[in-house]
Amino acid sequence: MGFRSWISVALQLTMATALLVGCSQPAATPDSASPSGANGVTLKMVESITSPQRTALLKEMLAQFEAKNPGIKVDLISPPFEGADQKITQMLMAKEELDVLEVREFNAKQFSMNGFIENLKPYTEKWKNYDQLTDVAKRRATWVDKAPYYIPNGLYQRVLYYRTDWFKEAGIEVPKTWDELLVAAKKLTDPTKNRYGYSFRGGATGWDYALITMWAYNGTEVDADSAFFMKDGRTLFSTPQSLEAMQYYKQLYKEGSPKDSVSWGFQEMVQGFVAGSTAMLIQDPDVIDGAKEKMQEGTWATAPIPIGPSGVAQQVVGGPGWGMTSYSKHKEEAWKLIEFLSDPEQSTHFAKKTSTIPVVKSAAEDEFYKTGYFQPFIEMSQQPTKFLDVSRPVDYKGWGAWQSTADKDIQSFLLDQLTAEDLLKKWDQYWTKEKAERK
Amino acid sequence: MDTQKPIVMTTKQVVPEGKKSFRISKEGRFIFLCLLPAILFVSVFTYYPLVRGIIMSFQNYTLFDLMNIQFIGLDNFVNVLTSPDFPRVAMNSFYWVFFSLVFQLLFGFMLALLMRKKFRGRGIYQAFVFFPWAMSGFLIGLIWRWMFNAQFGVINDLLLKTGLIDAPISFLADGTWAMAAVIIANIWYGVAFFAIMILAALQSIPEELYEAAAMDGAGRIQQFWRVTLPYIMPTMLVTILLRVIWILNFPDIIYAMTNGAPAGSTHIFATYMIDKVIFGQDYGQASAVGVIIVLILMLFTIFYVKATKVEKGGDF
Repeated sequence: MGFRSWISVALQLTMATALLVGCSQPAATPDSASPSGANGVTLKMVESITSPQRTALLKEMLAQFEAKNPGIKVDLISPPFEGADQKITQMLMAKEELDVLEVREFNAKQFSMNGFIENLKPYTEKWKNYDQLTDVAKRRATWVDKAPYYIPNGLYQRVLYYRTDWFKEAGIEVPKTWDELLVAAKKLTDPTKNRYGYSFRGGATGWDYALITMWAYNGTEVDADSAFFMKDGRTLFSTPQSLEAMQYYKQLYKEGSPKDSVSWGFQEMVQGFVAGSTAMLIQDPDVIDGAKEKMQEGTWATAPIPIGPSGVAQQVVGGPGWGMTSYSKHKEEAWKLIEFLSDPEQSTHFAKKTSTIPVVKSAAEDEFYKTGYFQPFIEMSQQPTKFLDVSRPVDYKGWGAWQSTADKDIQSFLLDQLTAEDLLKKWDQYWTKEKAERK
Repeated sequence: MDTQKPIVMTTKQVVPEGKKSFRISKEGRFIFLCLLPAILFVSVFTYYPLVRGIIMSFQNYTLFDLMNIQFIGLDNFVNVLTSPDFPRVAMNSFYWVFFSLVFQLLFGFMLALLMRKKFRGRGIYQAFVFFPWAMSGFLIGLIWRWMFNAQFGVINDLLLKTGLIDAPISFLADGTWAMAAVIIANIWYGVAFFAIMILAALQSIPEELYEAAAMDGAGRIQQFWRVTLPYIMPTMLVTILLRVIWILNFPDIIYAMTNGAPAGSTHIFATYMIDKVIFGQDYGQASAVGVIIVLILMLFTIFYVKATKVEKGGDF
């Protein structure tokens, strides 16, 4: 090969490597290079669950904060939702200038363990509104090491959405249990009319739906603090109830759901429901606004999630919130901002506008939440022994690797490439090993 | 030995006989300074991440515990290569590149030949052909994902209405169909690039060559084989090389359409690598996959350049 060919090869390789390594998103930039406040303090803040509406709302609230605190300016960074958490992680790893950040329940442990976020206990101890937080919100706040590493700004709790018109037409009641849900789903399924009973989630993070079924079948024997394990120390995947749950789960997919829902993610699930293809959907409250927009009033409603044969239902209530970087140079001001955003009035306003469940107790008395589509959320919150809030083992080293293969395993199982026994055995072995290595 | 005695070196000792001292001319310094920003840019944005990636592929670099990063030898490579997913990912990557490339080239060539002729509305036609190339790969993936949807997708709707099928096909619920679906979307996306490149090459062929060939008695087909094809060959070879590199490194469409589903049946190296980062939070293993991609491309490029003896950079 001649010299020019080698040059050509070198150039091609340069291009290949440039393409390979250059696919990360551009660095998020602050919205504006705003000047520092009167006292020279400019806080840098980054949000994670970004959307144009949410960012606009946040900016509105930050403007109020700045008006009340003339010495402080806030620069908000809003990376695109897809990859926002990776962006935040990168910023933290690079110790980029950052004071307030949105922490998610699944990265709180990772952030605290790496020393990225501040334990807010010294601040919450003096904060009069800390006791205003609901029990679930407090549990999310103290997710890691029982210490408040962030203050939640809204809860993502699932309910059952159902088509009242289809139910009426078929003469069936709203399902209260998973068994009733299967019966209803089968009855409402008619592929010739492109109608299916249930908006199944088989795509990204579909494993979470398999888990809520397994938890409901295993009941209160599940260790709520680390719900991949039972109270007696065995893994969740080792019990006969879990096998029963997985068999049920496949039946629900095969007999009451669209075939291609094996790869459905959030968008398809919701679209299936609002476009009139599926009769039931289990989702977070952020679906309410979209359903209101696209569906006729009176054709749909919400209800508490179904319970299992054990008489209970569990789920992981998502609760992102505002935290502070451990290396912030303006900790007092950063806490001031967190305190402002977490104030019961501000916090309820934020929850209402972002269609999430509020984190403060007083919101239960708000008409907005006491009636209509939000009512089942409050109903569930008021029955904490029936609708349990559990935690995933995100503090285990193997959590990430498990997530990476869990969807694939579930899909293989649904497509008859893996038996329920083999699937559970694989997960049982994995988590038994994880537990042993942790000791 | 008298250590106080000064050491005196002659000019001959400093600069050995027969060798001249290395001096950069004024002009050379100026060129170097002009190139410096580009060198810095490439170093920072290409070589630094590459070197960092190679280093990380030998470390237990997981987001879970950034405080305890150590070198672990070849463990990441062993884990990736012995993973039961690896053979399928490798085969999928081959199918993804091979079928995408063959059909993009074929359709791109046909479109370029059509667009070479002047006809009414050629501009609109060209814009229509080229516009997929202007769109983001991720967006294309999302569009095709909905088009292939069994419940609401236009493809099933068309097939049902034309009577070609009796019941909707769940394209994205079956491994083989899903792989075919992502390749179809990629073909649609990449045809424009081949069409652009080949059209540019076709338009640079001097008319005199065809006139001379015609005078020598060459018919249309002979003109194509003897004039058109040889003339545009360097461009085609370089375009093929570029496309292989790009297609193998192009996770956007698959990521948006299937995210590797169902059951990992549409993962290629690039999506597998992203999966390791996003869900697995394992930068070490993801980097190992990245290094494997670079090695594959390196081998392919050397083999390709040797086999085709590409010495001309094409006419673009």
